[in-house]
Amino acid sequence: MSDVFPKWTNRLPLLLVVGLVLTGTVVVAGVWYYFTPKYTRVGYQPIQPVAFSHAVHVDQLGLDCRYCHNAVEESWFSNVPSASSCMNCHNQVLKESPKLELVRQSAATGAVIPWVQVHKLPDYVYFNHAVHVRRGISCVECHGSIHQMDEVRHAKPLSMAFCLECHRDPASRIRPVDKVTDLDWTWNPDPAIAAELQRVNGEKLVHDWNVQSLQNCSACHR
Amino acid sequence: MKTIPPACPGPETGPHYWRSLDQLADTPEFRDWVEREFPAGASELTDPVTRRSFVKLMSASFMLAGLGLTGCRRPEEKIVPFSRLPEGYVHGAARYYATAMPTQTGAVPLIVRSNDGRPTKIEGNSMHPDSNGATDAHAQASILNLYDPDRSQRFLRSGSVITREAAWDALRQIGLPFSQSYGELGVAGDGAGELAAKRQGQGLSFLLTRKDSPSRERLVRLLRERFPKAGFYVHEPVDHAIHQEAATQCFGKDVTPYYRFDDTRVVVSLDADFLGTEEEAWLHARRYAQSRRLRSSGDEMCRLYAVESLFTLTGANADHRLRLPASQLPRVAAQLASAVLADSGLPGSQTGDFLAAAVRQSEGLPPGLLDPKWIAECARDLVAHKGRAVVVAGHRQPVEVHLLAHAMNVALEAVGRTIVFQDAMPVGEPGLPELARALNEGRVDTLVILDGNPVYTAPADLDWARTQRKAKSVVRLGYYEDETTQHADLHLPLAHYLESWGDARTADGTLVPVQPLIQPLFGGVTELEVLARLAPLERTNPYDIVRETFARYAGSDEEKWKGFLHDGFLADSGGRVVDVQFDWAKVARAIGQLRPANPPSLDRLELVFHRDAKVGDGRYVNNGWLQEMPDPVTKMTWENVILLSQATADALGLRVVDRNNNNLRTPLVRLEAGGYELTGPAWVQPGMADFVVGLALGYGQSHAGRVGQGAGYNAYQLRSSLSPHLLPGARLSDTGREHPLATTQNHWSLEGRPIIREANLAEYQANPRFAQAMNMHEPAENRPLYPNPMDIRGPDGLTPREKAHHQWGMSVDLNACTGCSACVIACQSENNVPIVGKEQVRRQREMHWLRVDRYFAGPVADPQMVTQPMFCLHCESAPCESVCPVNATVHDDEGLNVMVYNRCVGTRYCSNNCPYKVRRFNYFDYQRRPLDRLYQSPLTSSTRDEWELKRWFKNPDRGSRPHEEFELAKLVKNPDVTVRMRGIMEKCTYCIQRIEQAKIARKVAAGPSGDVLVRDGEIRTACQQACPAEAIVFGNIKDAGSEVSRLKALDRTYLVLEFLATKPRTSYLARVRNPNPQMPDAQQQPLTTQMYLEKNPPHHGPHGADTHGAGAGDGKGGH
Repeated sequence: MSDVFPKWTNRLPLLLVVGLVLTGTVVVAGVWYYFTPKYTRVGYQPIQPVAFSHAVHVDQLGLDCRYCHNAVEESWFSNVPSASSCMNCHNQVLKESPKLELVRQSAATGAVIPWVQVHKLPDYVYFNHAVHVRRGISCVECHGSIHQMDEVRHAKPLSMAFCLECHRDPASRIRPVDKVTDLDWTWNPDPAIAAELQRVNGEKLVHDWNVQSLQNCSACHR
Repeated sequence: MKTIPPACPGPETGPHYWRSLDQLADTPEFRDWVEREFPAGASELTDPVTRRSFVKLMSASFMLAGLGLTGCRRPEEKIVPFSRLPEGYVHGAARYYATAMPTQTGAVPLIVRSNDGRPTKIEGNSMHPDSNGATDAHAQASILNLYDPDRSQRFLRSGSVITREAAWDALRQIGLPFSQSYGELGVAGDGAGELAAKRQGQGLSFLLTRKDSPSRERLVRLLRERFPKAGFYVHEPVDHAIHQEAATQCFGKDVTPYYRFDDTRVVVSLDADFLGTEEEAWLHARRYAQSRRLRSSGDEMCRLYAVESLFTLTGANADHRLRLPASQLPRVAAQLASAVLADSGLPGSQTGDFLAAAVRQSEGLPPGLLDPKWIAECARDLVAHKGRAVVVAGHRQPVEVHLLAHAMNVALEAVGRTIVFQDAMPVGEPGLPELARALNEGRVDTLVILDGNPVYTAPADLDWARTQRKAKSVVRLGYYEDETTQHADLHLPLAHYLESWGDARTADGTLVPVQPLIQPLFGGVTELEVLARLAPLERTNPYDIVRETFARYAGSDEEKWKGFLHDGFLADSGGRVVDVQFDWAKVARAIGQLRPANPPSLDRLELVFHRDAKVGDGRYVNNGWLQEMPDPVTKMTWENVILLSQATADALGLRVVDRNNNNLRTPLVRLEAGGYELTGPAWVQPGMADFVVGLALGYGQSHAGRVGQGAGYNAYQLRSSLSPHLLPGARLSDTGREHPLATTQNHWSLEGRPIIREANLAEYQANPRFAQAMNMHEPAENRPLYPNPMDIRGPDGLTPREKAHHQWGMSVDLNACTGCSACVIACQSENNVPIVGKEQVRRQREMHWLRVDRYFAGPVADPQMVTQPMFCLHCESAPCESVCPVNATVHDDEGLNVMVYNRCVGTRYCSNNCPYKVRRFNYFDYQRRPLDRLYQSPLTSSTRDEWELKRWFKNPDRGSRPHEEFELAKLVKNPDVTVRMRGIMEKCTYCIQRIEQAKIARKVAAGPSGDVLVRDGEIRTACQQACPAEAIVFGNIKDAGSEVSRLKALDRTYLVLEFLATKPRTSYLARVRNPNPQMPDAQQQPLTTQMYLEKNPPHHGPHGADTHGAGAGDGKGGH
């Protein structure tokens, strides 16, 4: 019989089991890590047709988010500004800049600028911008430090777990409504004190404003 | 929420297509394509071949975007903002515009929701002085016609496609020989006389539909002046002008009746289906429901008597119903009139010979048709409620019956109270028979048919297809390329009313705008423009025409015009109520001319033609929502049937076979009358008059489009121009074949179950809590497997009931519901509910979230009918939730039973465990597959020579529906509701999207404050919004002052199957009938209650002495 099965085959079952366990572990770990929005979304940074820099406009020049995204307080959708909005300033500033060629063309001829979408939720999620920004949830909570980005980058996973983190504990994120578009704002320069103040004031705001950040399915899915 | 729309032309830059083909244009690839190939833009395209490839390419570009740029990440998508933002435009926020849907005698004032440039939902305009914001099923469904892929999309001359400009040119050529400038053009005429006559329009004829539009009236008047010898004819397949004709005849003025049912205590309907198929039924339903509204047992309510031959919704809602062949109704009307007059105490000197004439007409009624006491007591009841009674005659009845009805109204002092007369434009234009005569005599050179489909709807004896051909040229404006197009030389596509400028007057005479929400999708044109170009006028733009008409009403003030468009009506422009003098002598003479008809018999059956509750006179035949809406009475879908009473069917030896619910087949029968015949399926309609055959018009069209093709038989084939509504002397024979039918509810009765609870008014007064007295025993050991989720304490120690700001609930008043089914279509439109086709309905797979259950009780010959809207009742202890293995249906804190589509794996356990049978399962991907190919496997079938699998690989989203159909079907969808796929369970959500939007709007308004409670009335579910009778009320039951809380506190409130302890959030208010105890057919109790008591005899246990009066029994003991 030893002719038929060499000796090492005695170890075959063991090898198989170990191999399967190892493969299984690798697959599970791989899916665990790579198939989550944390990996697939965070860091996504496509090249936009116009080299628009949030860092320049917001951080350096101090524009308010709502100058361009003017419908954010009225609509579920935070609009990307029309070329005519850009031209409000750029018919004075950087009139000849080649970087703005596409914008000038668009404003003049009506040709559209195909911005690449960075943040996108699935169609069955009915996220509403207006209700978040009007009730003290800052842009920074979902978009990260977008005011310091030259090219927009996907900063947070925007997964359901991410949403629920805040919906379970709104007090940890809520801030005065007039500070919503002030992305650098904190309760205190000292992070430790700020965290403490966030806890205390957050709970007060949640109570005073009757905030019910529902965790029901119906809050986001319809 | 309404906003003033931007000026008519779209923004000069930016996504121009959004107004026409909307967001289809979202990808830059597509945009490039368009700019290179079609610089003029989508709405300018007239060549259908190009248009088709345009749609194809558009989808190809989607594919490219999907495939070419895909990496490991999701496909890259683009955000394409406007280049110049239209002022006031907020992306993503729905906008609402006021407009109106023109009808035959008026209009339905509307507010239409527009999502990013595409109309998505129709609602009534509650600001309008004569509307509570309600609509009817047709208005709700008309939005689907806008996106109908089969609608006419091309200009045709002699069958070949021409451009729009060529069509205008052809129109000009037609008008030219008739116009004043003809001679000046230097065309040599053969005879000066002939030329002069031609100039005046001799040989030119117009065939119009009935419409109450001041602008059209003005243009027609202009055309009449310009062409004094031209012929103007009006054709309506089911003409309701008889109401005005009769009023004009007996009052000697051009007046039209307007009924105020809300102020009545007794209503008698003489074959008038004013709650169903008469014009303005939605309006009547509101007023009628008001007259029957009960807040407490002390309230008075209206009583309705109906005399009719078919079983209509009006008969179903009547307290006393007399079934009678329609031909015998004039005699009964005369009997009633003579009795009323004799009782009313009007001096004979005033009425003259009227009484004698009425008595003469009332003679000769065959014995056995009715108990004379019925008439006598009915008349006595009418007279007893003088001033608060009204008699209505239906459009099917001859004018003499209308005169008798008005005579009674005068005698009952109803005029000025329950019925008023408004001044109106004269009617009485010649109709189709006169036009046929002119055509046959060769007097018509050019026939212009504006709207309508006369080749299909003309009575059979006119042989219209051939008659129409006798004109040298036929111009036709139509919504479909239908039967009439086949016999026309020039065909123009008609624009939908949501694409057109126009105006109309509602029933009360108020001027309303017809305002477009979108550019014509397929380049359709309006009737106004065609008339203006024929005239020819200098200004042919319909917008200018409407503004000019408006200026005559209210001046040319810009602000007034804006206000008119914003509000959707012109305030105080209602019709003038005029004083009228009844001409007794004239009416006496007129009714003397009525020729009595013989009653029908087995070999001389009487045919009654009626407008179908779903497809109307045929104009909605290609509307899938309406085709699949169960008929309010027969519950038949997808076709019409030949209605017979049980006795007639028995006498004819027909057996309506019902092997089992899934395989319903009925005998196919042949009907012959007047030398014409048709074949259709026979169906027994309980409660119909014997030897009467009911035929619904509107089906059996030969060019109906992909939805309506092959649905039903064509009843117009038997119609006669002499007597369009009734036809005696028909014969019926069995063909020996059978026909499958799809009906959604085959229940004949409630079988004694207290699902619907009713009482007579007297009984209700004696025992206001009769509805609860019918509650069944809860099982003694009533411990649910799972606790009520609303009572589980959270980590903070609070139950959801205590914690949440709102607790939603609903109350449905069965006393108000007339069964009209507007809610069914409203729900379908709001919630993206698909249609499934006849074959699937036969398998009970219809997807309607809201159904209107219809039950009969009592003898088949003359039953009582009840209706009940049924949808998810949002049980607190929902049986569906406890059986779901994947937690796909759960409760939220506000008491909603929510469905999580993404979790659902389609076990259907929930549906099996639902006692109310309100859950719907997507057996197929109805949204993405054509209905006739549901069963074809994606692996083995091919669409247009492309294998399904390959197609799927390229674009899994599209499905196998034809491209253009799919793209259009997408446009009607509500973007705030998920479109469900195959294998998913779904059900009523209480319009969760509206709830969330209202809550969000409130929170956005609240900002940094705690004022987040939604106000009562801010949320109206789609069904509530559409209901003309205001039977459905939704709101926050946590607020004791809300309307729904007040209604739930009424004594008539009950829960369906309360003994299951499911604690539904939707409660019903029991129905109350109001029979006259003196009447021979008065029942002690409603027949459903009698059946219930038979099944659950009252026992005299500890509950024996419970609160029950008038023999209601405490009814306990059923298990």
